[in-house]
Amino acid sequence: MENKSHGGVDLSRRGFLKSAGGLAAGGALGQGATAAASAGLLGDGVERASGEVEIELTLNGTKRKVKVEPRTTLLSVLRHRVEPALTGTKEVCDMGSCGACTVHVDSKPAYACLLLAIDCQGKAITTIEGLAQGDTLHPVQQAFCEHDALMCGFCTPGFVMALSACLDAKPNATLDELKEACAGNVCRCGTYPHVFQAAVAAQRAKQAGGAR
Amino acid sequence: MSSKLPASPLEPRAQDGAPKKKKILVPKVENGHETMVEIEVDDVAGPEWGPREKLRLLNHEFVRVDAVDKVTGRARYTHDVRLAGMLYAKFVACPLPHAEVRVDLSAAKQVPGVVEARVVRDGEIRFVGQPVAVVAAKTREAAEDGARAIKLDLKPLPFAVTREQSLAANAPEVNRRGNASKPDERGDAAEVTAAFARCAAAIEATYSVPVQHHACLETHGAVVDVPSNDAATVYHSTQATFASAGEFKGPLKVSDVEVINEHMGGGFGSKFEAGVEGRVASELARDLKVPIHLMLSRKDEFLAAGNRSGCTATVKLGGTQDGKLVALSASVDRFGGLGGGSHAGLPYIYSVETSHRSMRSVYTHLDGNRAMRAPGHPQASFAMESALDELAYALGVDLVEIRKRNVGDVHAKQLERAAREIGWAEHPHKSKPDLSDAVVKVGIGFGLSQWGGGGHPECRVTVDIAPDGGVRATVGSQDLGTGVRTYVAAIVAEELGLPLGGVTARIGRTSYGPANASGGSVTTASLAPAVKHAAFNAKRSLLEALAKTLASAPDELVLDTQGVYDARSKRRLSWKDACATLPPAGISAVGEWQANLASNGVHGAQAAKVRVDTRTGEIQVVKMVCVQDCGLPLNRTGVRSQIFGGMIQALSYALFEERVIEPDLGLALNANFEDYKLAASREIPEMVAILDDDDTRGVIGMAEATIVPGHSAIANAIHNACGVRLRSMPLTCDKLLLGLAALKKG
Ligand code: FES
Ligand code: FES
Repeated sequence: MENKSHGGVDLSRRGFLKSAGGLAAGGALGQGATAAASAGLLGDGVERASGEVEIELTLNGTKRKVKVEPRTTLLSVLRHRVEPALTGTKEVCDMGSCGACTVHVDSKPAYACLLLAIDCQGKAITTIEGLAQGDTLHPVQQAFCEHDALMCGFCTPGFVMALSACLDAKPNATLDELKEACAGNVCRCGTYPHVFQAAVAAQRAKQAGGAR
Repeated sequence: MSSKLPASPLEPRAQDGAPKKKKILVPKVENGHETMVEIEVDDVAGPEWGPREKLRLLNHEFVRVDAVDKVTGRARYTHDVRLAGMLYAKFVACPLPHAEVRVDLSAAKQVPGVVEARVVRDGEIRFVGQPVAVVAAKTREAAEDGARAIKLDLKPLPFAVTREQSLAANAPEVNRRGNASKPDERGDAAEVTAAFARCAAAIEATYSVPVQHHACLETHGAVVDVPSNDAATVYHSTQATFASAGEFKGPLKVSDVEVINEHMGGGFGSKFEAGVEGRVASELARDLKVPIHLMLSRKDEFLAAGNRSGCTATVKLGGTQDGKLVALSASVDRFGGLGGGSHAGLPYIYSVETSHRSMRSVYTHLDGNRAMRAPGHPQASFAMESALDELAYALGVDLVEIRKRNVGDVHAKQLERAAREIGWAEHPHKSKPDLSDAVVKVGIGFGLSQWGGGGHPECRVTVDIAPDGGVRATVGSQDLGTGVRTYVAAIVAEELGLPLGGVTARIGRTSYGPANASGGSVTTASLAPAVKHAAFNAKRSLLEALAKTLASAPDELVLDTQGVYDARSKRRLSWKDACATLPPAGISAVGEWQANLASNGVHGAQAAKVRVDTRTGEIQVVKMVCVQDCGLPLNRTGVRSQIFGGMIQALSYALFEERVIEPDLGLALNANFEDYKLAASREIPEMVAILDDDDTRGVIGMAEATIVPGHSAIANAIHNACGVRLRSMPLTCDKLLLGLAALKKG
């Protein structure tokens, strides 16, 4: 919740309390207090860190040129800056506390909202759209369908990416390790029991020499 | 609501040519609140669900038809809509609970990439988080720059954000008619006082629950396309697709609005209105002539998109030696911010011989509450189940017995089943908590629920059969994640003898035909009968057409999973061949609500087992059980998912969830997912969902019932474990440790 890596979207909490503290002390918050100034980041006018540059990212095996600012997150690139947009990766908290934006970066799970796009150059980025091989679902995707590990589905891509990364790296993960692998993912609909069932089923399918 | 249903031409008529009518009671839900209204429907023999053992798909487990779209990221939510030339809009919110606000847009308009900046509302602002300005920009980042550049001139005004502040003698005015509403009284106080004299024991205590957030993962908002030719298309994350279309017409100044809502990331009662975000997005799209994407930020969502109201309830409850409830008196304060709050009333679902209660709203400078999954019920459950538990220990009556003694047969039976599943008979300390020196202690608690969940006639479903054998079921209804799209396809497939994959369901668009708003668990009981009716009519039309082609009679034709069998010619046609005889236009049949296919009123019993660590105060729920009826379960897997979902939301409410407002500054301290904790994978216990298959009624919605009693059962289990009665949610380790210390002191 403190200043974000890409330039303080919200008031930082410290700045927020600071300005409000003046209010409690009977100080004048009125004149000149601005939503921006209290964060202490900008003067009266507006400064931007810099302009856009073009970089190349490897998204689901394809090299894509994309214009970004230094502060642009990988999540913002996926959802808003590539054409067609890769909107399967969800934005829920934009601050690393829900897991909805989980992708694989060089096969490791990562929160796309916490990564700067420029730092992702030269890395292999897989999103939910690139997890299946053609029409063959990843065993985790398949198991999520079969065990009804989804309801509204908004958290689902994040869970699938977190668990598939875990099982790909650690085929013999214990149930506890599987739960740990998605401990940062939030599901408001409450699909967890079916998510765990699906994770275990996917593991069995993989071990039985399933799809891969 | 229309009180008449047009009769289907295929249905038998009464002698005089007009269909016979009958009056039935159906629930009507407005903004998530349910009342019963009487309507008139045709009294004719329509489709039947048929014997359960004959069902092939329904009442079985099957995979959602949109599961693959959801696991591959293909499912498109409102957040995901991208239109050419679309601008991203972002709100600036008032940071104070009560202030006079002036907005200066000049700097924001200079920000590169910002196309428009506007005042949304200025003057007196009455809650933290109220949108006061908006920017629309070419990129998300530019919208953020623009929002930061907006200057707010804030003149703080006196505020009240707590009950005490609101009720203080010199409190600022929150509500013109007084900061507390006139109490609503039920029952006779004098009679209750007399009844307490007859009680073998009575307890009195105050219970409180905090404000909870819906925390839909998809925030509120809309993507509005540019209106043209008096029409517009709006993508909206809404529980009320059809009502929403009406709301957008005004700000878009068009007479025709198509609302598209293919998938939505949760609603839980908070998404019935277009809201300020819908209005502002429409005005921007209309004036700027570009599509507008306006979805609330997570912080806006926490501060201004609704919540479940909190409450305090002071309850006195007395009973006879054997646990019959005799007297209850209660006074309840609801905390719904600027809204009235909701509370289902006491003694909630238990019968008490004599009761009196008084209830009022206490208003504060916080955003108003909205309907949230079983509005008012979890609050009532917590006070009633806790008080009942306290009385049971005081009387020395078994916790299951005291409940059974004061409810009907269905609840009693379900409770026994839940008790069996949680291991009540083997539990070592039933009538007293474990007061030993053990460090880790285990306890069990119970709670009951009920809900309406009946349907009403609002949906119109079309089933099309094409000459190539393709079948399409079409209705505008939204799917909040309950599996609507799937059962629409399954009901039609069942009726036509097809596999689930043989039917395509199209939902989530106003042009697909009217459907109800999804609140009060009414969707299934409203929609499923209309789907069944449409499929039934399509089948009749198909057989009538075939009878002509085959020179047979509709009554001689049997449609099953093997296709069509003609008893007259002893000939069999595959589904494909049968459909190939249809005219090029195929068959199109419409269905409407059928009273006989739905029912109303569900029951549930839940049990929780917890483990508490008396050194650290850690509370871990180790097992939860729910026994739930719902009439005919359409997809048993989907029903189980919903039951788990309700139980987990209750667990999360019990242990973690609470909106925290700093009382001196009036600021919301945890308007994000870092500080507002939701239960996640590490907190999920062993969970058992049992469908009560004794229930042979038609379809009924049960989603709300499942969220009602879980937190109460957990609080009761904590007391059973260690003797600490936590009367204020959330049930946290600090409260438990204080309770344990107080117990020690005696
Ligand atoms: S959106 Fe990235 S963790 Fe929540
Ligand atoms: S399925 Fe809805 S949030 Fe997880």
